[in-house]
Amino acid sequence: MSCVNIIEKERNVVINPLKTCQPFGAMFAVTGINKGFPIVHGSQGCSAFVRYGFARHFREPSEIAVTSLHEDAAVFGGRKNLVAGIENLALRFKPDIIGVITTCSSEIIGDDVYGFTETARENIKKKMGEDSHEIEVIPISTPSFVETHYKGYDTAIKSIVNHLARKDEPNEKVNIIPGIVNPGDIRELKHLMNMMKLEGIFLTDISDPFDAPLRPSKVTKPFYPKGGVSVDEIKDSANSLGTVSICKYAGSGALSLEKEHKVPAAVDSPPVGLQNTDKFIRNLKKFTGNEIPNEILDERGILVDSMADNAARYLFGRKVIIYGDPDITTGIARFVGELGMEPTMVCTGVKSPSFAQDMEKIAKETGSEIDVMVGQDLRAVEVYLKENPVDLMIGNSDGRLISLDQGIPLIRVGFPVYDRVGYQRQPIVGYRGGLYLMDLITNTILEKYYEPTHWKLQQ
Amino acid sequence: MEPIIETFESRKKHMCVKGEGISIPVCDKASLPGTVTQRTCVYGGARIVLMPITDSIHLVHGPIGCAACTWDIRGSKSSREDLYKKGCSTDLKEKDIIFGGEKKLFETIMELNKIYSPGAIFVYATCVSGIIGDDIKAVCKKSEELTGCRVIPVQSEGYQDHNKTKGHWIGGDALLDHVIGTKEPETTTSYDINIVGEFNVAGDLWGIKPLIEEMGVNIISTLTGDSHVDEIAQAHRAKLNIVQCQKSSNYVAKKMEKKYGIPFIKVNFFGLQQTINSLRDIADFFGDEEMIKRTEKIIESGLKEVEHKTDEYKERLSGKTVALYVGGNKAWSLVRAFEELGMEVMMSGTKNGIKEDYERIKETVKDGTIIVDDANSTELARLLKKYRPNLLISGAKEKYISLKLGVPFCDFNHDRISAFAGFKGFVSFAKEVDASVSSPVFELPLNNLGGD
Repeated sequence: MSCVNIIEKERNVVINPLKTCQPFGAMFAVTGINKGFPIVHGSQGCSAFVRYGFARHFREPSEIAVTSLHEDAAVFGGRKNLVAGIENLALRFKPDIIGVITTCSSEIIGDDVYGFTETARENIKKKMGEDSHEIEVIPISTPSFVETHYKGYDTAIKSIVNHLARKDEPNEKVNIIPGIVNPGDIRELKHLMNMMKLEGIFLTDISDPFDAPLRPSKVTKPFYPKGGVSVDEIKDSANSLGTVSICKYAGSGALSLEKEHKVPAAVDSPPVGLQNTDKFIRNLKKFTGNEIPNEILDERGILVDSMADNAARYLFGRKVIIYGDPDITTGIARFVGELGMEPTMVCTGVKSPSFAQDMEKIAKETGSEIDVMVGQDLRAVEVYLKENPVDLMIGNSDGRLISLDQGIPLIRVGFPVYDRVGYQRQPIVGYRGGLYLMDLITNTILEKYYEPTHWKLQQ
Repeated sequence: MEPIIETFESRKKHMCVKGEGISIPVCDKASLPGTVTQRTCVYGGARIVLMPITDSIHLVHGPIGCAACTWDIRGSKSSREDLYKKGCSTDLKEKDIIFGGEKKLFETIMELNKIYSPGAIFVYATCVSGIIGDDIKAVCKKSEELTGCRVIPVQSEGYQDHNKTKGHWIGGDALLDHVIGTKEPETTTSYDINIVGEFNVAGDLWGIKPLIEEMGVNIISTLTGDSHVDEIAQAHRAKLNIVQCQKSSNYVAKKMEKKYGIPFIKVNFFGLQQTINSLRDIADFFGDEEMIKRTEKIIESGLKEVEHKTDEYKERLSGKTVALYVGGNKAWSLVRAFEELGMEVMMSGTKNGIKEDYERIKETVKDGTIIVDDANSTELARLLKKYRPNLLISGAKEKYISLKLGVPFCDFNHDRISAFAGFKGFVSFAKEVDASVSSPVFELPLNNLGGD
């Protein structure tokens, strides 16, 4: 018997949220652009708290400017702050792109951000003259009272692409929209594409900006971390062979490129686990015609080999709950099903339309009965687990108190992970990502459920 | 005169060197738009003052972001409840912006009261609730009448001021107007006090409390570390307030003096000599011979306990320089503690300092020390690069800037994990500072493989 039992939120209050507001996603997206600088049009808290969130997860500095709106702006409007802010930013940092990210305050007071950025652009040209190489200033509308940070990311990518993509000579590349993932994940996608002899244009690429080496001699003035997708590459995205978005919440950029520039789009679940990674590789093949080389098949084979070694003996039938990002959660749910485990419950903080549908397909595939919590929070997870104990939790660090309280081991995945180190460098996508995740799950189960009672673990 | 570092014209006066040029930096101004400021907003200020109250629910009336980014980020510890660790929000959506969020707020408060029966529910206003004009006071009053639970409005709209200090005052006002004075203690003694401005980050309070109690003093309440709302409600019966964090809480102490006639003295428990002075000041206030004798014994045994425990660290730290970029209180209160370790404070700066704070800093530091106000990321990086201190003391957002430049870092903000206050705290402080400065990573040549 396989079915899903959809549990919607019944109370008003959000307790221990699994989501945050739109500007966060937009700041994340703009950081992935080479010499790109986000500026938040709102209160100082809006940028400071998000920078704090990035710092504790990635253990990297994150530079996000803010226009510092105060009471006078709430009454008279924020034009002065925004125009001055963009100018100061341009003069001091000379970025290639400035992403102007709105917040609840600036949206409610009705600032004409598009108009103000035009004014700022003119001023920059006048002040910097010959010096000002073309600084792109892109307004990104992300009111925090609408949806969640996933939407903010999607809107940012769409705005950036709409603003910059320009039709020209075709290139042999594939655009990738990675979503809110770790540097390790993006590097793994690059590895897979390398094996397919493909080059990707990542919209956007946070792998180096959020995981940079410590080389004091390389600290330039003004300081930019290396890496990130360049403005020229983004412009060139209109000429690619296709766009693959590996998260369903960030499909708008891909669909926009398809509509405007005839770049075919594929919007799918992230390549977590065996079948999802297969799908990703097949999409690459579909767009480019490139053959799937032996190296990929071997790498795939190693994952399958490891699954054969361990899944039946230690993992079969273990009950798991997964919470967090709607797409990574469905990806992991499918993977644990492939491993023979039972995804008893999944929970996401956002009301994603595709979440329930995806979980239904997975339930059919695995033959399990899955409780699907949509738009819920960690308190709901806490209450659920008191009545339905499981063997394992998979999700971000915010669940650690539940894990401690109820004695259920927690596998840390997603954002944020702040009570362990190195997770931002480990991929969970691709075949190697599947290996890493599987090893982590198996070793945790061995430590918790086998070690205390079996004096000698072998085979 | 050569500027301290290169920066915008309007920012030059925000930095000065003691003994040269202007005496204190220009301060308490709005941040320059478009810079990467380290400041947060007024809501952040109110939140850090009230969040440590352990048996209360802290409900944020606004869109999800304000609560999601700030729940459980402050390392305040609790010996009892952990309700304060929950992140609760009314999660305002577009519909609420248009039609008003008061009804949703009311229902939310009812739900929370039913689930947790907390000692109090603090309702924080945010930018949005302020702009759309929700009357939080009225909703709080109504729900308090219906539930019998304290429901306290905190008017902390983030855009109210460029200075988060206003947020501290607003948090203080919420306690003064709605909590303090609403309950009578069962018994009173002549030695009742409140500890004001101690938030028990990493257990600091637990290093101070035993010392004071051993003196014979009775602590009615702490504002607000490891506290219960009911305890704070009785605070008006104290004979003395001792103020640890003067930046956030001088305001509350002054108001309590005006309203209830409770005098206050300023204390500082960071550093050995300062701990000793503070204990003596409290004993002197009460003027009780027995207590004064007991205090000297406590000081003697406290010093004996730490004797020699810091020698090893002091040896390695002697002569090293340290830069401070912290809150308005620690920027001067830590200076002596570092000098006791044999280190030299070459820079002291704050994000939100006001004139009082900088006067205090100027009094405490040596000539030649750089004093900085509201440095943004670029300025901080330039200062570090130019002056190359052996250690930077600051918070999480500045940590990785400093490390990337090869300057060791020690967190003295709310991510701290060891207590630094009192006698034992001084040993932990020495240990952690030593670990940061002496870590072999920074002795390894950072540019080594040639061609770097």
